[in-house]
Amino acid sequence: MTDNRRGQTLGSWLGLVLRDVQFWVPVAVLVGGLLVLRWISS
Amino acid sequence: MTTPTTEESRGAVEPGALDATRLRTLQRVGMLCGLTAGAWLGAAEAPTKLVTLGLSPVVISLSMVIGVFLARWTLPALIQGTSYVAADLRQAPHLIVWAVLAGCLWAVANTLTIFAVRDVGLSIAFPLWNSNSLLGIFWGIVFFQELRGADWRRWLGVIGGALLMFAGATALALASAKQVPAHDAARGVAAALGAGVLWGTMYIPYRKAYLTGMSPLSFITFFTVGELGMMTALALTYSGGVSPLWAQLSGARHVLFWLLAGGFVWVVGDLFQQYAVKYAGITRGIPLSNTNQLWGLLWGILVFGELRTASGSVLTQVIGGSLVMAVGAGLIALSSVSRSEHSHWQKAAASEGERYGVDPEYTQSRIASGSASIVRRRTWIDWLVVSVATAIIIGFALIAKAPQIELAWGWTTALVILTLGMLAAAGLRLWRATRFN
Repeated sequence: MTDNRRGQTLGSWLGLVLRDVQFWVPVAVLVGGLLVLRWISS
Repeated sequence: MTTPTTEESRGAVEPGALDATRLRTLQRVGMLCGLTAGAWLGAAEAPTKLVTLGLSPVVISLSMVIGVFLARWTLPALIQGTSYVAADLRQAPHLIVWAVLAGCLWAVANTLTIFAVRDVGLSIAFPLWNSNSLLGIFWGIVFFQELRGADWRRWLGVIGGALLMFAGATALALASAKQVPAHDAARGVAAALGAGVLWGTMYIPYRKAYLTGMSPLSFITFFTVGELGMMTALALTYSGGVSPLWAQLSGARHVLFWLLAGGFVWVVGDLFQQYAVKYAGITRGIPLSNTNQLWGLLWGILVFGELRTASGSVLTQVIGGSLVMAVGAGLIALSSVSRSEHSHWQKAAASEGERYGVDPEYTQSRIASGSASIVRRRTWIDWLVVSVATAIIIGFALIAKAPQIELAWGWTTALVILTLGMLAAAGLRLWRATRFN
Protein backbone atom coordinates (compact mmCIF):
# COMPACT_ATOMS: atom_id res chain seq x y z
CA MET A 1 0.00 0.00 0.00
CA THR A 2 1.47 3.35 -0.97
CA ASP A 3 1.98 6.22 1.46
CA ASN A 4 -0.29 8.33 -0.72
CA ARG A 5 -3.13 5.86 -0.47
CA ARG A 6 -2.56 5.41 3.26
CA GLY A 7 -2.81 9.16 3.73
CA GLN A 8 -6.07 9.26 1.83
CA THR A 9 -7.62 6.41 3.80
CA LEU A 10 -6.55 7.85 7.15
CA GLY A 11 -8.10 11.15 6.15
CA SER A 12 -11.48 9.57 5.56
CA TRP A 13 -11.53 6.83 8.20
CA LEU A 14 -14.97 7.79 9.43
CA GLY A 15 -16.34 7.27 5.93
CA LEU A 16 -14.58 3.92 5.80
CA VAL A 17 -16.24 2.87 9.05
CA LEU A 18 -19.67 3.89 7.75
CA ARG A 19 -19.12 1.94 4.53
CA ASP A 20 -18.06 -1.18 6.42
CA VAL A 21 -21.00 -3.63 6.38
CA GLN A 22 -19.77 -5.20 9.64
CA PHE A 23 -20.25 -1.83 11.38
CA TRP A 24 -24.01 -1.90 10.85
CA VAL A 25 -24.44 -5.27 12.57
CA PRO A 26 -23.58 -3.96 16.08
CA VAL A 27 -25.41 -0.70 15.34
CA ALA A 28 -28.59 -2.62 14.47
CA VAL A 29 -28.18 -4.79 17.57
CA LEU A 30 -27.69 -1.68 19.74
CA VAL A 31 -30.88 -0.08 18.39
CA GLY A 32 -32.73 -3.35 18.97
CA GLY A 33 -31.40 -3.51 22.53
CA LEU A 34 -32.56 0.03 23.26
CA LEU A 35 -36.02 -0.82 21.92
CA VAL A 36 -36.20 -3.95 24.11
CA LEU A 37 -35.10 -1.85 27.10
CA ARG A 38 -37.81 0.70 26.40
CA TRP A 39 -40.42 -2.04 26.09
CA ILE A 40 -39.52 -3.88 29.31
CA SER A 41 -39.25 -0.71 31.38
CA SER A 42 -42.61 0.70 30.28
CA MET B 1 -3.06 -28.46 24.42
CA THR B 2 -3.32 -29.91 20.90
CA THR B 3 0.06 -29.68 19.24
CA PRO B 4 0.42 -28.76 15.58
CA THR B 5 0.58 -31.73 13.26
CA THR B 6 3.85 -32.71 11.59
CA GLU B 7 2.58 -31.26 8.33
CA GLU B 8 1.80 -27.99 10.05
CA SER B 9 5.18 -27.89 11.73
CA ARG B 10 7.05 -28.63 8.53
CA GLY B 11 4.77 -26.72 6.21
CA ALA B 12 6.01 -23.76 4.29
CA VAL B 13 5.70 -20.57 6.29
CA GLU B 14 3.99 -17.73 4.47
CA PRO B 15 5.70 -14.35 4.54
CA GLY B 16 4.87 -12.65 7.81
CA ALA B 17 3.44 -15.83 9.31
CA LEU B 18 4.32 -16.78 12.87
CA ASP B 19 6.58 -19.73 13.51
CA ALA B 20 5.06 -22.70 15.32
CA THR B 21 6.74 -21.93 18.65
CA ARG B 22 5.59 -18.31 18.69
CA LEU B 23 2.07 -19.36 17.71
CA ARG B 24 1.92 -21.90 20.54
CA THR B 25 3.23 -19.35 23.03
CA LEU B 26 0.58 -16.79 22.08
CA GLN B 27 -2.12 -19.45 22.19
CA ARG B 28 -1.14 -20.53 25.69
CA VAL B 29 -1.01 -16.93 26.86
CA GLY B 30 -4.45 -16.30 25.34
CA MET B 31 -5.94 -19.36 27.05
CA LEU B 32 -4.36 -18.42 30.40
CA CYS B 33 -5.75 -14.90 30.03
CA GLY B 34 -9.23 -16.36 29.38
CA LEU B 35 -9.10 -18.46 32.56
CA THR B 36 -7.73 -15.54 34.60
CA ALA B 37 -10.48 -13.32 33.22
CA GLY B 38 -13.01 -15.83 34.55
CA ALA B 39 -11.47 -15.68 38.05
CA TRP B 40 -11.46 -11.87 38.17
CA LEU B 41 -14.86 -11.35 36.59
CA GLY B 42 -16.23 -13.81 39.17
CA ALA B 43 -14.45 -12.03 42.03
CA ALA B 44 -15.97 -8.72 40.91
CA GLU B 45 -19.31 -9.96 42.16
CA ALA B 46 -17.98 -10.11 45.75
CA PRO B 47 -17.82 -6.35 46.53
CA THR B 48 -21.33 -5.85 45.21
CA LYS B 49 -22.62 -8.47 47.67
CA LEU B 50 -21.37 -6.26 50.51
CA VAL B 51 -23.83 -3.56 49.61
CA THR B 52 -27.04 -3.49 51.54
CA LEU B 53 -30.22 -3.89 49.62
CA GLY B 54 -32.47 -0.99 48.73
CA LEU B 55 -30.49 0.73 46.00
CA SER B 56 -31.96 1.28 42.58
CA PRO B 57 -30.52 -1.17 40.00
CA VAL B 58 -29.62 1.73 37.71
CA VAL B 59 -27.69 3.46 40.52
CA ILE B 60 -25.80 0.22 41.26
CA SER B 61 -24.94 -0.17 37.58
CA LEU B 62 -23.91 3.48 37.16
CA SER B 63 -21.72 3.38 40.29
CA MET B 64 -19.94 0.28 39.05
CA VAL B 65 -19.41 1.90 35.66
CA ILE B 66 -17.84 4.94 37.35
CA GLY B 67 -15.36 2.56 39.04
CA VAL B 68 -14.85 0.87 35.69
CA PHE B 69 -14.16 4.25 34.05
CA LEU B 70 -11.55 5.17 36.66
CA ALA B 71 -9.83 1.81 36.28
CA ARG B 72 -9.91 1.87 32.49
CA TRP B 73 -7.95 5.13 32.44
CA THR B 74 -5.67 4.38 35.39
CA LEU B 75 -4.37 0.95 34.34
CA PRO B 76 -3.32 1.95 30.79
CA ALA B 77 -1.68 5.13 32.14
CA LEU B 78 0.25 3.05 34.70
CA ILE B 79 1.19 0.13 32.46
CA GLN B 80 1.85 1.73 29.07
CA GLY B 81 1.43 5.48 29.42
CA THR B 82 -1.04 7.66 27.54
CA SER B 83 1.58 8.42 24.88
CA TYR B 84 1.49 4.74 23.95
CA VAL B 85 -2.31 4.88 23.70
CA ALA B 86 -2.07 7.99 21.52
CA ALA B 87 0.48 6.33 19.24
CA ASP B 88 -1.80 3.30 18.89
CA LEU B 89 -4.72 5.49 17.89
CA ARG B 90 -2.68 7.38 15.33
CA GLN B 91 -2.10 4.05 13.60
CA ALA B 92 -5.76 3.05 13.60
CA PRO B 93 -7.99 6.06 14.41
CA HIS B 94 -11.10 4.34 13.05
CA LEU B 95 -11.02 2.02 16.07
CA ILE B 96 -12.17 4.90 18.30
CA VAL B 97 -15.62 4.60 16.70
CA TRP B 98 -15.60 0.83 17.16
CA ALA B 99 -14.49 1.14 20.79
CA VAL B 100 -17.20 3.67 21.67
CA LEU B 101 -19.80 1.49 19.94
CA ALA B 102 -18.66 -1.55 21.93
CA GLY B 103 -18.95 0.46 25.17
CA CYS B 104 -22.52 1.45 24.29
CA LEU B 105 -23.41 -2.20 23.63
CA TRP B 106 -21.97 -3.19 27.02
CA ALA B 107 -23.92 -0.53 28.92
CA VAL B 108 -27.28 -1.44 27.38
CA ALA B 109 -26.60 -5.17 27.92
CA ASN B 110 -25.68 -4.63 31.57
CA THR B 111 -28.86 -2.64 32.18
CA LEU B 112 -30.95 -5.33 30.49
CA THR B 113 -29.50 -7.96 32.84
CA ILE B 114 -30.72 -5.98 35.85
CA PHE B 115 -34.26 -5.95 34.49
CA ALA B 116 -33.95 -9.64 33.55
CA VAL B 117 -32.98 -10.65 37.09
CA ARG B 118 -35.84 -8.55 38.44
CA ASP B 119 -38.41 -10.19 36.15
CA VAL B 120 -37.40 -13.85 35.89
CA GLY B 121 -34.70 -14.32 38.54
CA LEU B 122 -31.05 -15.21 38.21
CA SER B 123 -31.68 -18.89 37.48
CA ILE B 124 -33.31 -18.27 34.13
CA ALA B 125 -31.59 -15.01 33.25
CA PHE B 126 -27.94 -16.08 33.73
CA PRO B 127 -27.81 -18.98 31.26
CA LEU B 128 -29.81 -16.97 28.74
CA TRP B 129 -27.36 -14.08 28.67
CA ASN B 130 -24.41 -16.47 28.92
CA SER B 131 -25.41 -17.61 25.45
CA ASN B 132 -23.34 -14.61 24.33
CA SER B 133 -20.34 -16.91 23.87
CA LEU B 134 -22.27 -19.02 21.34
CA LEU B 135 -23.13 -15.89 19.35
CA GLY B 136 -19.53 -14.70 19.71
CA ILE B 137 -18.32 -17.98 18.21
CA PHE B 138 -20.78 -17.50 15.34
CA TRP B 139 -19.48 -13.99 14.56
CA GLY B 140 -15.88 -15.22 14.88
CA ILE B 141 -16.52 -17.88 12.24
CA VAL B 142 -18.60 -15.68 9.91
CA PHE B 143 -16.63 -12.42 10.00
CA PHE B 144 -13.10 -13.25 11.11
CA GLN B 145 -12.40 -16.69 9.62
CA GLU B 146 -11.95 -18.32 13.01
CA LEU B 147 -11.98 -22.14 12.92
CA ARG B 148 -11.48 -22.02 9.12
CA GLY B 149 -8.88 -24.58 8.18
CA ALA B 150 -9.24 -26.25 11.59
CA ASP B 151 -9.68 -30.02 11.72
CA TRP B 152 -12.85 -31.67 12.98
CA ARG B 153 -11.35 -32.23 16.49
CA ARG B 154 -10.92 -28.50 16.99
CA TRP B 155 -14.42 -27.77 15.70
CA LEU B 156 -15.78 -30.42 18.05
CA GLY B 157 -13.67 -29.12 20.93
CA VAL B 158 -14.80 -25.50 20.58
CA ILE B 159 -18.47 -26.00 19.70
CA GLY B 160 -18.89 -29.01 22.01
CA GLY B 161 -17.02 -27.28 24.82
CA ALA B 162 -19.15 -24.14 24.50
CA LEU B 163 -22.36 -26.19 24.53
CA LEU B 164 -21.16 -28.13 27.59
CA MET B 165 -20.36 -24.86 29.37
CA PHE B 166 -23.82 -23.56 28.50
CA ALA B 167 -25.40 -26.74 29.93
CA GLY B 168 -23.26 -26.52 33.08
CA ALA B 169 -24.11 -22.83 33.49
CA THR B 170 -27.80 -23.64 33.24
CA ALA B 171 -27.51 -26.32 35.95
CA LEU B 172 -25.52 -23.99 38.23
CA ALA B 173 -27.91 -21.10 37.77
CA LEU B 174 -30.92 -23.30 38.53
CA ALA B 175 -29.23 -24.68 41.65
CA SER B 176 -28.09 -21.34 43.01
CA ALA B 177 -31.37 -19.61 42.31
CA LYS B 178 -33.15 -17.74 45.03
CA GLN B 179 -36.90 -18.15 45.10
CA VAL B 180 -37.65 -15.04 43.09
CA PRO B 181 -41.18 -14.96 41.76
CA ALA B 182 -41.34 -14.34 38.03
CA HIS B 183 -43.79 -11.50 37.70
CA ASP B 184 -43.30 -10.83 34.02
CA ALA B 185 -41.65 -13.79 32.39
CA ALA B 186 -41.86 -12.71 28.73
CA ARG B 187 -40.19 -9.36 29.35
CA GLY B 188 -37.54 -10.90 31.58
CA VAL B 189 -36.63 -13.57 29.04
CA ALA B 190 -36.51 -10.92 26.28
CA ALA B 191 -34.21 -8.78 28.44
CA ALA B 192 -31.84 -11.69 29.18
CA LEU B 193 -31.72 -12.83 25.56
CA GLY B 194 -31.24 -9.21 24.48
CA ALA B 195 -28.27 -8.88 26.84
CA GLY B 196 -26.76 -12.08 25.41
CA VAL B 197 -27.16 -10.80 21.83
CA LEU B 198 -25.65 -7.41 22.72
CA TRP B 199 -22.66 -8.93 24.52
CA GLY B 200 -22.15 -11.56 21.85
CA THR B 201 -22.13 -8.85 19.17
CA MET B 202 -19.79 -6.67 21.23
CA TYR B 203 -17.03 -9.14 20.35
CA ILE B 204 -17.12 -7.92 16.72
CA PRO B 205 -15.48 -4.56 17.67
CA TYR B 206 -13.09 -6.42 20.01
CA ARG B 207 -11.88 -8.70 17.25
CA LYS B 208 -11.71 -5.85 14.72
CA ALA B 209 -9.35 -3.99 17.03
CA TYR B 210 -7.14 -6.93 17.89
CA LEU B 211 -6.79 -8.28 14.36
CA THR B 212 -5.50 -4.82 13.49
CA GLY B 213 -2.90 -5.18 16.23
CA MET B 214 -4.19 -2.61 18.72
CA SER B 215 -3.33 -3.14 22.38
CA PRO B 216 -6.32 -3.87 24.63
CA LEU B 217 -5.00 -1.16 26.95
CA SER B 218 -5.55 1.39 24.19
CA PHE B 219 -8.93 0.03 23.12
CA ILE B 220 -10.47 0.14 26.60
CA THR B 221 -9.73 3.84 27.14
CA PHE B 222 -12.26 4.69 24.42
CA PHE B 223 -14.50 1.71 25.06
CA THR B 224 -15.21 3.20 28.47
CA VAL B 225 -16.21 6.57 27.01
CA GLY B 226 -19.09 4.82 25.24
CA GLU B 227 -19.77 2.77 28.36
CA LEU B 228 -20.01 5.74 30.74
CA GLY B 229 -21.80 7.97 28.23
CA MET B 230 -24.49 5.41 27.48
CA MET B 231 -24.85 4.39 31.14
CA THR B 232 -25.24 8.02 32.22
CA ALA B 233 -27.90 8.56 29.55
CA LEU B 234 -29.77 5.44 30.67
CA ALA B 235 -29.50 6.38 34.36
CA LEU B 236 -30.83 9.88 33.68
CA THR B 237 -33.68 8.47 31.59
CA TYR B 238 -34.77 5.78 34.03
CA SER B 239 -34.20 7.83 37.20
CA GLY B 240 -36.31 10.73 35.98
CA GLY B 241 -33.60 13.37 35.43
CA VAL B 242 -30.51 14.90 36.98
CA SER B 243 -31.97 15.84 40.39
CA PRO B 244 -33.54 12.47 41.23
CA LEU B 245 -30.39 10.65 40.08
CA TRP B 246 -28.16 12.93 42.15
CA ALA B 247 -30.40 12.42 45.18
CA GLN B 248 -30.10 8.64 44.80
CA LEU B 249 -26.32 8.78 44.41
CA SER B 250 -26.00 11.07 47.45
CA GLY B 251 -28.17 8.73 49.50
CA ALA B 252 -25.94 5.81 48.57
CA ARG B 253 -22.60 7.58 49.18
CA HIS B 254 -21.68 5.33 52.12
CA VAL B 255 -21.70 2.21 49.95
CA LEU B 256 -20.47 3.65 46.66
CA PHE B 257 -16.89 2.64 47.45
CA TRP B 258 -17.81 -1.06 47.39
CA LEU B 259 -19.48 -0.64 44.01
CA LEU B 260 -16.49 1.28 42.67
CA ALA B 261 -14.23 -1.50 43.97
CA GLY B 262 -16.41 -4.07 42.21
CA GLY B 263 -16.04 -2.08 39.00
CA PHE B 264 -12.27 -1.89 39.44
CA VAL B 265 -11.92 -5.66 39.97
CA TRP B 266 -14.22 -6.24 37.01
CA VAL B 267 -11.93 -4.19 34.75
CA VAL B 268 -8.94 -6.40 35.58
CA GLY B 269 -10.99 -9.42 34.50
CA ASP B 270 -12.25 -7.66 31.40
CA LEU B 271 -8.72 -6.66 30.44
CA PHE B 272 -7.61 -10.30 30.52
CA GLN B 273 -10.72 -11.19 28.53
CA GLN B 274 -9.66 -8.72 25.86
CA TYR B 275 -6.17 -10.21 25.72
CA ALA B 276 -7.78 -13.66 25.46
CA VAL B 277 -9.79 -12.49 22.45
CA LYS B 278 -6.66 -11.00 20.91
CA TYR B 279 -4.41 -14.03 21.29
CA ALA B 280 -6.83 -16.99 21.41
CA GLY B 281 -9.65 -15.55 19.30
CA ILE B 282 -13.34 -15.12 20.19
CA THR B 283 -14.00 -18.84 19.78
CA ARG B 284 -11.63 -19.79 22.63
CA GLY B 285 -11.23 -16.63 24.71
CA ILE B 286 -14.87 -15.86 25.43
CA PRO B 287 -16.04 -19.34 26.53
CA LEU B 288 -13.01 -19.62 28.83
CA SER B 289 -13.71 -16.27 30.46
CA ASN B 290 -17.32 -17.38 30.97
CA THR B 291 -15.98 -19.61 33.76
CA ASN B 292 -16.66 -16.49 35.85
CA GLN B 293 -19.91 -18.15 36.88
CA LEU B 294 -17.92 -20.92 38.61
CA TRP B 295 -15.84 -18.35 40.50
CA GLY B 296 -18.92 -16.33 41.46
CA LEU B 297 -20.39 -19.51 42.88
CA LEU B 298 -17.20 -20.28 44.83
CA TRP B 299 -17.26 -16.80 46.40
CA GLY B 300 -20.96 -17.16 47.16
CA ILE B 301 -20.72 -20.59 48.79
CA LEU B 302 -17.35 -20.39 50.54
CA VAL B 303 -17.16 -16.73 51.57
CA PHE B 304 -20.77 -15.60 51.92
CA GLY B 305 -22.21 -18.92 53.12
CA GLU B 306 -24.76 -19.26 50.35
CA LEU B 307 -26.44 -22.66 49.86
CA ARG B 308 -25.61 -23.47 53.52
CA THR B 309 -29.08 -24.88 54.01
CA ALA B 310 -29.37 -26.33 50.52
CA SER B 311 -30.67 -29.85 50.07
CA GLY B 312 -28.55 -32.74 48.85
CA SER B 313 -30.11 -32.63 45.39
CA VAL B 314 -29.24 -28.93 45.01
CA LEU B 315 -25.63 -29.58 46.05
CA THR B 316 -25.45 -32.49 43.59
CA GLN B 317 -26.70 -30.14 40.88
CA VAL B 318 -24.04 -27.57 41.82
CA ILE B 319 -21.21 -30.10 41.77
CA GLY B 320 -22.49 -31.67 38.54
CA GLY B 321 -22.92 -28.30 36.81
CA SER B 322 -19.44 -27.20 37.90
CA LEU B 323 -17.85 -30.38 36.58
CA VAL B 324 -19.66 -30.07 33.24
CA MET B 325 -18.52 -26.44 32.92
CA ALA B 326 -14.94 -27.40 33.80
CA VAL B 327 -14.96 -30.20 31.19
CA GLY B 328 -16.31 -27.74 28.59
CA ALA B 329 -13.57 -25.20 29.43
CA GLY B 330 -10.96 -27.97 29.26
CA LEU B 331 -12.15 -29.06 25.81
CA ILE B 332 -11.86 -25.50 24.51
CA ALA B 333 -8.44 -25.02 26.10
CA LEU B 334 -7.24 -28.18 24.32
CA SER B 335 -8.47 -26.94 20.94
CA SER B 336 -5.55 -24.68 20.13
CA VAL B 337 -5.29 -22.80 16.85
CA SER B 338 -3.41 -24.71 14.14
CA ARG B 339 -1.01 -23.11 11.66
CA SER B 340 -3.64 -23.60 8.96
CA GLU B 341 -6.33 -21.79 10.98
CA HIS B 342 -3.93 -19.04 11.93
CA SER B 343 -3.20 -18.33 8.27
CA HIS B 344 -6.93 -17.60 7.87
CA TRP B 345 -6.72 -15.19 10.84
CA GLN B 346 -3.91 -13.43 9.02
CA LYS B 347 -6.02 -13.15 5.88
CA ALA B 348 -8.78 -11.54 7.95
CA ALA B 349 -6.21 -9.19 9.51
CA ALA B 350 -4.81 -8.28 6.08
CA SER B 351 -8.32 -7.57 4.83
CA GLU B 352 -8.95 -5.25 7.81
CA GLY B 353 -5.66 -3.46 7.26
CA GLU B 354 -6.40 -3.02 3.57
CA ARG B 355 -9.89 -1.69 4.23
CA TYR B 356 -8.76 0.93 6.75
CA GLY B 357 -5.30 1.70 5.42
CA VAL B 358 -3.44 0.42 8.48
CA ASP B 359 0.29 -0.05 8.08
CA PRO B 360 0.86 -3.83 7.70
CA GLU B 361 4.16 -3.52 9.55
CA TYR B 362 2.32 -2.12 12.56
CA THR B 363 -0.13 -5.03 12.60
CA GLN B 364 2.58 -7.61 12.11
CA SER B 365 4.94 -6.15 14.71
CA ARG B 366 2.20 -6.13 17.34
CA ILE B 367 1.64 -9.86 16.94
CA ALA B 368 4.93 -11.31 15.82
CA SER B 369 7.59 -9.65 17.88
CA GLY B 370 5.70 -8.61 20.97
CA SER B 371 7.53 -5.32 21.02
CA ALA B 372 6.23 -2.73 18.65
CA SER B 373 8.50 0.15 17.78
CA ILE B 374 6.68 2.49 20.14
CA VAL B 375 8.52 4.00 23.06
CA ARG B 376 6.78 3.71 26.41
CA ARG B 377 7.24 6.76 28.57
CA ARG B 378 5.23 8.33 31.36
CA THR B 379 4.37 11.99 31.17
CA TRP B 380 2.77 14.36 33.69
CA ILE B 381 -0.60 13.51 32.10
CA ASP B 382 -0.23 9.87 33.19
CA TRP B 383 0.57 10.84 36.76
CA LEU B 384 -2.31 13.33 36.78
CA VAL B 385 -4.76 10.64 35.61
CA VAL B 386 -3.49 8.17 38.22
CA SER B 387 -3.52 10.79 41.01
CA VAL B 388 -7.06 12.02 40.28
CA ALA B 389 -8.44 8.47 40.04
CA THR B 390 -6.67 7.42 43.25
CA ALA B 391 -7.91 10.54 45.07
CA ILE B 392 -11.52 9.82 44.03
CA ILE B 393 -11.29 6.20 45.21
CA ILE B 394 -9.68 7.22 48.53
CA GLY B 395 -12.36 9.88 48.96
CA PHE B 396 -15.14 7.31 48.62
CA ALA B 397 -13.23 4.87 50.87
CA LEU B 398 -13.06 7.48 53.63
CA ILE B 399 -16.82 7.93 53.73
CA ALA B 400 -17.60 4.23 53.24
CA LYS B 401 -19.22 2.25 56.02
CA ALA B 402 -18.00 -1.23 56.87
CA PRO B 403 -20.47 -3.80 55.56
CA GLN B 404 -22.60 -5.56 58.14
CA ILE B 405 -22.20 -9.00 56.70
CA GLU B 406 -20.62 -12.22 57.92
CA LEU B 407 -17.61 -13.38 55.95
CA ALA B 408 -15.58 -16.60 56.13
CA TRP B 409 -12.20 -14.90 56.42
CA GLY B 410 -10.19 -18.08 55.87
CA TRP B 411 -11.84 -18.74 52.52
CA THR B 412 -11.68 -15.04 51.65
CA THR B 413 -7.92 -15.09 52.15
CA ALA B 414 -7.53 -18.31 50.17
CA LEU B 415 -9.56 -17.03 47.22
CA VAL B 416 -7.81 -13.64 47.23
CA ILE B 417 -4.40 -15.38 47.20
CA LEU B 418 -5.53 -17.71 44.41
CA THR B 419 -6.95 -14.86 42.33
CA LEU B 420 -3.85 -12.71 42.83
CA GLY B 421 -1.70 -15.73 41.97
CA MET B 422 -3.54 -16.14 38.67
CA LEU B 423 -3.09 -12.41 38.01
CA ALA B 424 0.65 -12.68 38.66
CA ALA B 425 1.06 -15.81 36.53
CA ALA B 426 -0.99 -14.52 33.60
CA GLY B 427 0.46 -11.01 33.85
CA LEU B 428 4.02 -12.33 33.83
CA ARG B 429 3.39 -14.66 30.88
CA LEU B 430 1.64 -11.86 29.03
CA TRP B 431 4.48 -9.42 29.66
CA ARG B 432 7.14 -11.90 28.55
CA ALA B 433 5.28 -12.92 25.43
CA THR B 434 3.71 -9.64 24.30
CA ARG B 435 4.94 -6.75 26.47
CA PHE B 436 1.22 -6.08 27.05
CA ASN B 437 0.68 -5.33 23.38
